[in-house]
Amino acid sequence: MAAPSICVPGQRLGRLDDNTTSGNGTYERNGFIYSSLAGYLESKDIDDGKKLVEVRTDTKKNIVPSVDAIVTARITNVTPRFCKCIMLSVGKTPLNEPFRGMLRKEDVRATEKDKVEMYKCFRPGDIIVARVLSLGDAHSYLLSTTENELGVVMAVSEAGATMVPISWCKMKCPKTMSEEPRKVAKVQPQFLQYSGT
Amino acid sequence: MPTDSRRITGPETSQSPHIYQKTNGTEIVLIDENKKRQDGRGLGDIRPMFLRAGIVSQARGSAYMEQNQTKVICAVYGPREIARREEFSWKGQITCEFKFATFSCLHRRQPQQDGEEKDFSVQLLEALEPAVCLHKFPKSQVNVYVTVLQDDGSALAAAITCASVALADAAIEMYDLVTGCSARISGGHILLDPCHTEEYRSEKDNTVNNGSVTLGLMPSLRQVSAVTSKGELEFEHVKKAMDQCLEVCQKLYPVLQQSLIKSVKEKLEMDKLSDCHTT
Repeated sequence: MAAPSICVPGQRLGRLDDNTTSGNGTYERNGFIYSSLAGYLESKDIDDGKKLVEVRTDTKKNIVPSVDAIVTARITNVTPRFCKCIMLSVGKTPLNEPFRGMLRKEDVRATEKDKVEMYKCFRPGDIIVARVLSLGDAHSYLLSTTENELGVVMAVSEAGATMVPISWCKMKCPKTMSEEPRKVAKVQPQFLQYSGT
Repeated sequence: MPTDSRRITGPETSQSPHIYQKTNGTEIVLIDENKKRQDGRGLGDIRPMFLRAGIVSQARGSAYMEQNQTKVICAVYGPREIARREEFSWKGQITCEFKFATFSCLHRRQPQQDGEEKDFSVQLLEALEPAVCLHKFPKSQVNVYVTVLQDDGSALAAAITCASVALADAAIEMYDLVTGCSARISGGHILLDPCHTEEYRSEKDNTVNNGSVTLGLMPSLRQVSAVTSKGELEFEHVKKAMDQCLEVCQKLYPVLQQSLIKSVKEKLEMDKLSDCHTT
């Protein structure tokens, strides 16, 4: 990498015209692009001949959960109507600070919503993948697992072993061979390397 | 204000060192016949400044600033979840806590925030808020903690500058940095960047046209984000002082830039090193 040009917030990066667009870490004002981060400048060509100007900081990304983002979360408590969890990462970026999320009973699966029993879907300690439904109320974000790809990805059985999924609603303990109900996520093969096991 | 009963205060009988102080009681001459100030500066001269970003390792971002004997450290945490029950808001929040360390001033400060510190906290918040892209972190909060380690005048101005650098160091998205500067107005004279003995105190300098002005400027946008004045001042003087402060703020901008560039470079180096170790 050649000596990167480093910019600070408020620094003018260039004129905003038809061929340039401002990307992350920048903002537009009075026909100019300004930096909004202390980081290094990166401009790359995107399709249709446009140039994207970005300011990046590799070390630490300040990310907060946003609507429609895929988050990884750990279930903290389960009640008949909802379960609460702590979000651990957004996409591939781990969160620096924990954010609380809430998964309501009606957002667990897409079909037969009224027959959902929370205890048969999640247990405290499970790692789930969910989508952020909305920013929710003042306390917690609202999450949803109404897709095949969303749900429990890692769970520990009562015997203390990591369970293996056997169907979309069951997981099996390799130690005791007992089955436990869960809302299992159909983990996409391309994401398997992130599962950690 | 209630004092903290759990802490051990000093012995019951003691002599304050301030009664042995030289300046006590005598009139302070702000400007001598050669138009020089007590420390040899001219009226418009500011003190040399030292600024460094990325000081506190636990914090997300931090900065330390020195102007001779005025020493300020600032740490930024977040964006984190808002812990208290509050109304939902699409915008992010900043909280500021300004604190004089107990040992920072000539008189001992209490460990809790007193009125002046609360006042400064609000002024600091108002100076920083316009510069931060609050919409980038909805529903979350950024905490800014400023501690004055030693107060030799212009602490608020230093805090504004230091906090804005710390915010930028924490990679919080901002429209611009904020630089602070203060001026003391005494009679017809304007003393930039006053030190402790030159600072305006309402209890002794209560004649007309005695006061101080503190200003926060976003240098690249050329916008004033905060301005406060103390004392009974004529508008002409306030305006003149503000203009001079603006000029100084613009002059300070490269110092802020340099310190941030240095910290970004250091971080990039660190990244490279850690990449080498992992691969």
